[in-house]
Order: sequence, then C-alpha cells, then structure tokens
Amino acid sequence: MTPFTKCLNLSAVALSGLTLCAQAAQAPQHIDIKQLSKTVEDVVVPLPNEIFGALNKLGAVNWKEHVRSDKGANFTERPRIALLLGTVIADGFVAVQAEDAPTVKEIGQRVLALAKGIGVGNSITPHAKAIIEAADKRNWEAVRLELDRTQNSVQQAMNEVHDEKLSQLVSLGGWLRGTEVLTSVVTKHFSADGAELLHQPDLLSYFQTRLQAMPEFNVSIIREIEEALGQVKPLIDVGNARIPPQSVKKINEITTRLGNGIVTRD
Amino acid sequence: MNAFVNALLRGSFLLWPLIALQPAVFGSVDDAQSFALQAAEPYVKQGFQVREDYWGGDLGSGEKKAVRQQLFKGNEYWFWLGTEVDRAKVSVHIYDSDGKLAEEPDGWEKGHFAAAHVIPKTTGSYFIIVSIEESPAERTHWALVYGFR
Repeated sequence: MTPFTKCLNLSAVALSGLTLCAQAAQAPQHIDIKQLSKTVEDVVVPLPNEIFGALNKLGAVNWKEHVRSDKGANFTERPRIALLLGTVIADGFVAVQAEDAPTVKEIGQRVLALAKGIGVGNSITPHAKAIIEAADKRNWEAVRLELDRTQNSVQQAMNEVHDEKLSQLVSLGGWLRGTEVLTSVVTKHFSADGAELLHQPDLLSYFQTRLQAMPEFNVSIIREIEEALGQVKPLIDVGNARIPPQSVKKINEITTRLGNGIVTRD
Repeated sequence: MNAFVNALLRGSFLLWPLIALQPAVFGSVDDAQSFALQAAEPYVKQGFQVREDYWGGDLGSGEKKAVRQQLFKGNEYWFWLGTEVDRAKVSVHIYDSDGKLAEEPDGWEKGHFAAAHVIPKTTGSYFIIVSIEESPAERTHWALVYGFR
C-alpha cells in the first residue's frame, strides 16, 4: 500500500467515524416508551400560570371573578400549612392574572406567615418583599417570577431538612387550586380545547402515589384528597377521547369542595 | 533545598491529581444548572418564562435519562440542557406519550449546551430524553430547565 493510499484509507476511517458521531446525535423518530420506565425521573409539577397561560389563549377570561379573598385559617398541623401554602401561592397567580395589586400584596404577607409556620420563613422573606414591591409597581412579570421562586425556595428548604412530603403537599395544594380555577372557567365557557387542559393522568397518578406514602399524616383533609383523586382519575384519563362538559363540572365540584376543606378548619 | 520547600513541593505533587480531576470531582448539578440557565437567557427576551424548578443528576458517557413532563396544548416550550464538563457533548430530545418524536426542527446542540423546542399538539405527558453523547469525565453532571410562553 502506498503512503498516499494508506493516508486516504485513514481519512476514510476518520470520516466514517465523524459521520457515525453525527448520526449518533440525531434523534430517532420513534422510541419504545416501555423501555424507559426504569429510567424515568419524577415529574416537575406545572405551575398554575402555565395552565392559565394556555387558557388565556382560548379566549378572554374574567380573572377578577376567580380572585379569592379568604386566605384560610391559621393551622398548627404542618401538613395542613403546607397544603394551604401551595393554595395561597396559586391564588397569587390568579391575582396576577386579574392584575389585582392589593390582593397580591396580601398574598405576599400570607405566604411569609405560612412559611414561618413550617419553619422556612427565612428563605421566603426576600421573595415576599419582592412580591409586594413588584405588585406596588404593577410589574406582573416580576410578581410571577417571584411566586415561582417562592414556591421553589419553600420546597428546596423543606427538601434540605428532609421534609420532602411537606414539599409535595405544597405542589398538591397549588395543583388543586389551579384545577379548581381551570374547571370553573371551562364550566362557564365550555370548549373542547379548554377541557383538554385537564388531560393530566400521569400527574394525578404521581400525586396519588405520593399521598399513599403519607400514612403518618393523620389529617382528614389528606385522606379526603386521596379519595377524591380516585374519583377524578377516570374523568380525565380518557385516552384520545374528549373530556365532556359534565366531567369538567364534576371535577370542579370535587376540587371546590377540597379547596374549601384546605382553607377551613375542621 | 530546605525542609520547608521540600515539604511544600511534595505537598503540591500530591495536589496535582486533584487539580487534574477538578471538573469531574468538584463540579456539581448546580454548576450544570448555571449553564442550562445561560442557554435559556436569550429566550427570556422572547417572552419565555423560565421555571425555577429543574431536573439534574449525573450520567456516564453514552447514558440517557428520561424525564416526564406534563405539557399543555396552546403553550410553546423550550427545554435547555447544560453541563459544566468541558468537551462534553450532550443532547436533548422530546417525545410524545406514544414515543413519537414531537419536537420542532430548530433544536440545537453546542458545547456545554443542548436545546429542544416543542409546540404540543395535544395536552398530556411528554418524555424529555437527556443524553451524554461523549464526555471526558467518568460521570457528567447535567441539569435541565424549561420555559414556556
């Protein structure tokens, strides 16, 4: 073999290697989801404003009628405080949609008080201050960002002290309040696309699994939620079928009942 | 050479392997998250809200991880993957619940970063596949953040 041919062969090998690398980076058009089951990470729970944003694109929503002034009773049980905290943060997102500055400021204060109640007040103080300042300036984008940061900081602080279950209850409280508002909006002005936003069966399964792993929380509202999620599951786990208006109404009744239970003392 | 200098040199010889291994040993998921957020930065100006929450971990070269995420029809999403390991090659791709590639063609991979874009056709669960294609490190930290508008 001449040196030139040798060189050419080596180049061909190098080139085919590069081509293989490029092909390896290309994504296959189809993958087997069942094979992934062992490597799948937990879900990140969507924020209420993620759903509200999609809802807004379907038509104008009168957010003012969904702003809630009742910020809940003062609880001493940490699981109840965690659930309420998630709900109040979700109320913050509703108040931002409604551009209701006084309510946003009240929520900032309430979030701080609840965070103190479960021992994570220190990490929330700067966020609560930022929420109030941004609401004063009617800087809604900044309020949204701070509400997200608040929830994240609360959950990180809880995780650091191995209170992951309370952290999950914060997410659950927010998800329930978001679903209550979503179903209320869609019940009033039904659309198939609006109802489709409820198609969240994996998220529901995630919460069910988490609640089943909390037998130590002897709090009636948690058991009520666990039972209610079992009722909601068949209404939203419909595959490719559409979610009908009566299902949306039923989910709204269930989540409204649970929402009242979260903010009210037994 | 006095005893002090001798000890210092011997000490520094002991430190060399640590210095050489620094990116792999001392990097963290937080560093990877900083890179992921850096990739997301230009999109904030385009109206994307970047979530504070993120996924992270470490993977060996050639390994993949799937994360499941609820996406809503009507929204538009970008997922940004970052690593702090120099010369690592990472990728991220998005599949629907049937395992069909669901991303837009404008995803990209460059250095420490990779990104994938999806406009969901239906509301439901999607799988985000994170992969360390190549890496000089034994374990490569990764972090995945997402934004929506």
